Amino acid sequence: MNQHDNHLPSRKRSARLSLALMGAGAFTLTGCGQPEEVTDVRFDSPRSYQSVEECVEANVYTQSACEESYEASIKEVPRFDSLEACEAEHGEGACVAPTEEQAQAATGGGGGGGGWFMPALMGYMVGNMMSRTSRGATSQGLYQEPVYRNRQNQGNWNAATNQASQRVNQRQQTMRTSAMQNRQATQRSGFGSRSSARGGWGS
Amino acid sequence: MLRVEIKERAQWKALAQELGFHFHTIDGEPYWKESAYYQFTLEQVERDIEAPTEELHEMCMALVDKVCHSNALMQRLSIPEFMWDAIFDSWRAGQPHLYGRMDFAYSGDGPAKLLELNYDTPTSLYEAGIFQWVWLEQAIEQGLIPRHADQFNSIQEKLLGALAHIGQRLSDNTLHFSCIKDNVEERATVHYLQDIAVQAGLEAPFIHTEDIGVQPGCDYFVDLSEAPIKALFKLYPWEELAQEEFGKLIPELSTHWFEPPWKAVLSNKGILPLLWEEYPDHPNLLPAYFEKPDEKALTPGWVRKPFFSREGSNVQLKTNDGDFEDVAGPYVDSPWIRQAYHPMPRFGQFHALVGSWVVGDRACGMGIREDVGRITKDSSCFVPHAII
Repeated sequence: MNQHDNHLPSRKRSARLSLALMGAGAFTLTGCGQPEEVTDVRFDSPRSYQSVEECVEANVYTQSACEESYEASIKEVPRFDSLEACEAEHGEGACVAPTEEQAQAATGGGGGGGGWFMPALMGYMVGNMMSRTSRGATSQGLYQEPVYRNRQNQGNWNAATNQASQRVNQRQQTMRTSAMQNRQATQRSGFGSRSSARGGWGS
Repeated sequence: MLRVEIKERAQWKALAQELGFHFHTIDGEPYWKESAYYQFTLEQVERDIEAPTEELHEMCMALVDKVCHSNALMQRLSIPEFMWDAIFDSWRAGQPHLYGRMDFAYSGDGPAKLLELNYDTPTSLYEAGIFQWVWLEQAIEQGLIPRHADQFNSIQEKLLGALAHIGQRLSDNTLHFSCIKDNVEERATVHYLQDIAVQAGLEAPFIHTEDIGVQPGCDYFVDLSEAPIKALFKLYPWEELAQEEFGKLIPELSTHWFEPPWKAVLSNKGILPLLWEEYPDHPNLLPAYFEKPDEKALTPGWVRKPFFSREGSNVQLKTNDGDFEDVAGPYVDSPWIRQAYHPMPRFGQFHALVGSWVVGDRACGMGIREDVGRITKDSSCFVPHAII
């Protein structure tokens, strides 16, 4: 579980930053005292949890991040045909049969069921893992949500999957109809006309 | 907290040029200044800046929720009525925001006092996020500051995480970025965000604010090739967008905006008296109230700020001794608030302002601005900081 410790004192700044677009060519600078290799750069120390509930409770990652990494770690757990084979590798009493839920998660829900054994899951890691590609650092799919808190009073916004609300649909239908009757060219310059104190809007 | 004079890095201007930092000097005057740095202890950063920032952020989020459920509060903040649903919907849906900056008067001693929130169009992001970080690494490498020096700065790293999070929730994994024409600093800031978005795996095309189009029959605003803009980052204030020709279309069309519409609640200095009403005597807040229509001239120990203004414009202050200071500006048609005057610490001839960055819901870094005047403005210099 401690394989992710990096033996560096905790610090308040990022270990490594890159620019992909700005400046002449890609720019990468590694903080002093950091190893030189350019693969699998880690920023946040990943945290370990016993269960999805404990992860959500800690209020560090979103529920979906907790669930996704739990499922991912279940998939990575080594599977054995027999209890003996598992214990031979992981020690006596260290293995269990998966629960129905775990078995489903491990096989991607695509059947298969139980009939196998695995080392008891002692906890799973959630963290902000980054890997390097030719385009710079890229977050690996699962471990990238340490930035937002769960809020009970809000939905889980997702523009890629959520359908627009009924109300919006109706409104757009009206607009489409009126647009068909009065087809016009694209208009522009409807934003950006206001002048600020110094020609800019940053603050 | 100290201001420490230090040697500049020999090649920093060449490096700035190479890294796209073309506004290190503005109109012949230095903007980036590394002949000094501000020194903090770890305790000062964690106890006095980081923790209060996260606490205040949560207070602000609670207040957004309250305002979203109250037409009276929306009205009090002068938010146009046609935007209320869009604001409410974006909040209830949980549309994530990207970032914000809190400006504090902090001397190293006693609680930091919140002067204002910049939660809609915060800048000085590039300087704080990357150039300051590079300065620290190189200053250590060149022996200018001790090897154990650190910095409160994971701003870019957190932006990467936030943009990856947002990107996964956008159709086509695409976020357009926009700012107005002919402004080098804002274009660079947006370019920096595009850079991070690309690193986070997004498609990040650019369009000038003025070029955003409306095509009858299209559910979205459109880009220059008349393709729909499904999600758009804007470095342009909500209160201005709403007042413009296309403003009324914002709630009608399906384009998702970043910052989201609910940020309009926090990009408004009226939030300061609301915070004080909600959390009176909070150690990090200053007394503040809405100015009454018949209110008399500024009394000593108070500051007058318009609801909507940028970079210190139209701010007037009177110190406890009755010294008056103000910055001219065009923001005279919105209501005003008054806030108790709290002196910023002075180091030699400079007043220092601590900008504390929030990305998503995390406090993640600082940027210090200094000015000979008591009101921080666009010409105030950015000076790096170190934790030693």
